[in-house]
Amino acid sequence: MSLLSGIAESTVRLATPLLLAAMGEVVAERSGVLNLGVEGMMLSGALVGFAATAVTGSAVIGFFAGVIAGMSLALVHAFLCVSLKADQVISGIMITLLGTSLTTYFGQSWTGENIDGFSTIAIPALSEIPVIGKALFAITILDYLALLLVPVVWYLLFRTNIGAEIFAVGEDPETADTAGVSVFRIQYACVLIGGAFAGAGGAQLSLAFTKFWTSEMTTGIGWIAVALVIFAQWQIWRVVVGAYLFAAIDALSIRSQGSVDGQLLGQEVLTDLVNFLINPQVMETYPYIATILVLWYVMRQGNLNELGAPRAMLQSYSREQD
Amino acid sequence: MNVSVDLTSRESIPSWLAYGAPIFTIVAALVVTSIPLLWEDLSPLDVYTELFVGTLSDVAGISDVLRIALPLFLAGLAVYIPLKAGIWNIGAEGQIFVGATVCAYIGLNVQLPSYALILLMMVAGGFVAGLYGAIPGYLRAKHDVNEIISSLMLTFAATTFLGYLLRGPMQGSGGQTATESLPDRAELPTQFPLVGEIHPRLHVGVVLLGIAVAVTYILMTKTRLGYEITFIGANPEAAIQAGISKYRIYIISFFFGGFLAGLAGVAEISGVYGRLFEDFSPGYGFTAIAVALLGRNGPFRVLLAALFFGLLRAGGTTVSVSFQVPSALVDIIVALVILFLLAAEFLKQYRISVDLERESEPETSPGTEEPV
Repeated sequence: MSLLSGIAESTVRLATPLLLAAMGEVVAERSGVLNLGVEGMMLSGALVGFAATAVTGSAVIGFFAGVIAGMSLALVHAFLCVSLKADQVISGIMITLLGTSLTTYFGQSWTGENIDGFSTIAIPALSEIPVIGKALFAITILDYLALLLVPVVWYLLFRTNIGAEIFAVGEDPETADTAGVSVFRIQYACVLIGGAFAGAGGAQLSLAFTKFWTSEMTTGIGWIAVALVIFAQWQIWRVVVGAYLFAAIDALSIRSQGSVDGQLLGQEVLTDLVNFLINPQVMETYPYIATILVLWYVMRQGNLNELGAPRAMLQSYSREQD
Repeated sequence: MNVSVDLTSRESIPSWLAYGAPIFTIVAALVVTSIPLLWEDLSPLDVYTELFVGTLSDVAGISDVLRIALPLFLAGLAVYIPLKAGIWNIGAEGQIFVGATVCAYIGLNVQLPSYALILLMMVAGGFVAGLYGAIPGYLRAKHDVNEIISSLMLTFAATTFLGYLLRGPMQGSGGQTATESLPDRAELPTQFPLVGEIHPRLHVGVVLLGIAVAVTYILMTKTRLGYEITFIGANPEAAIQAGISKYRIYIISFFFGGFLAGLAGVAEISGVYGRLFEDFSPGYGFTAIAVALLGRNGPFRVLLAALFFGLLRAGGTTVSVSFQVPSALVDIIVALVILFLLAAEFLKQYRISVDLERESEPETSPGTEEPV
């Protein structure tokens, strides 16, 4: 029982940064801009959030500082990709490299420091429910915030005019432009929202999860977020499911002993195979492999609409030509 | 008063821009990097002098530049060749890891005389990495799966899987996440034929710099395959009309790319580290994207770009030791150089004119005045 609730608890906490970053990435990609800088933006959110909390003593100020840090890197990405029509892939990867190296450089003096950060808020009675009680009702305000943002982002994207404009820009910027939608403004806003969410995810890591700073502490969550968006085929609800699925795999792999005793169905080969598949390190590759499999499976049907990828993603739009 | 900014596509790139742009990007990156240096109370001028002049003033420094340029160049070609076919190989990092893993496995388990063993490691490491690299090419050719995303995902699959191998089947004694050291016969020697040893850190693998540039040059300009790769990249529809198989070209160019990146992994393990561990590559495969971008006009340019980034990394390591700054400084410079390069690309492609007086005109519908 306590093992199960332990796994449930770490799943929820591990899912928060992933969920935040992936939701932001959905918004950015929906407008047609791929953001591969998520990992770098998360790291800058984590470090700036941590430093601001340590200096001011307020985790709330720290959190917003982290959000702004994520947005500043996003602004660079937006400027290069939207205004200067630069290659989104290269810009994104280099922003991750920049975020990683800058935080490693400036973060050195913060390694080893501790902060109070955000503490868990337990809702009376509800948090006593076995297994899922502590996981869902004794979490930090940032975990609640992430869950609250899910319907907000969904509503924004699928039920508002702005959401419709974002779709139009991501699908066909030329037509959107002719219809009077400001392509530049929408894309800038979406990339900045993506950066804010990534920064928030990073800040959650250093302010609520670990409560210390260490270089490269995101350990690839930003990349998993990029994978998750494709895995979820750009749908918010699937992102939520995927975030918890990937986080559960992670939570399981931390606790997994990586071995099954005895023989499975009397087959030694099968036992070995299962042991291999539940090995913690092997499980870490699942999000990436699952993403490729989803892409492959959907594309094999030959239906791009079913994939849900914004049609104009990776294409920079300029008014005057082609 | 209306302010309007006009962008016109350039028909040709003026020569001052073509040569000025790389210099501008490097200078701009170094200027911005002064901020973190000043933060540490260091004189940027001293640091940069040491980084560039200091590194190139002795044999040890030049050897380091060449040694680091080798994986950058091979991985750069791994991006360059598919790029010529119009597809992006973002997965050179993963292909380096695959090549390195195969290299370590063979080096530890196969009993052969040194030359045969090293040859086998190179061929097998390159071949397996080539197959791994060919996966995104196949998925793109066959099912139109975006090769950028699949090659990126395969990179992380490979790097995390190495974590498993180094904690499980391939872990050496001593409890570290690393393999055993390779036997001497599996290591690339530092004795060059005729010349002898130049520097203890410079292994004979660097001759691959010359071989790879020549082979790639001949492949791309003198062979039918190279012609088909460039044709597909320049005009896919016309190329297919002409009977060139997109399927074949995508898979082959990704295979070649993976092969070269795999060789880079072999050179690192067999020539530099002598064993396999988790973080042996400081993101060579990602810097390689920049190398290919800078050098996309030909393999010699790719080589120049690799040497430049090799110099940055070799000099950066020296500087971080002598001035006691975090070695992440190098990555800051690399990232900034490329970000500024992207900005400079824009200047190359568009002429910008700012007009303060022009009345705003009604938008003409796009597509009506398309340039021919």
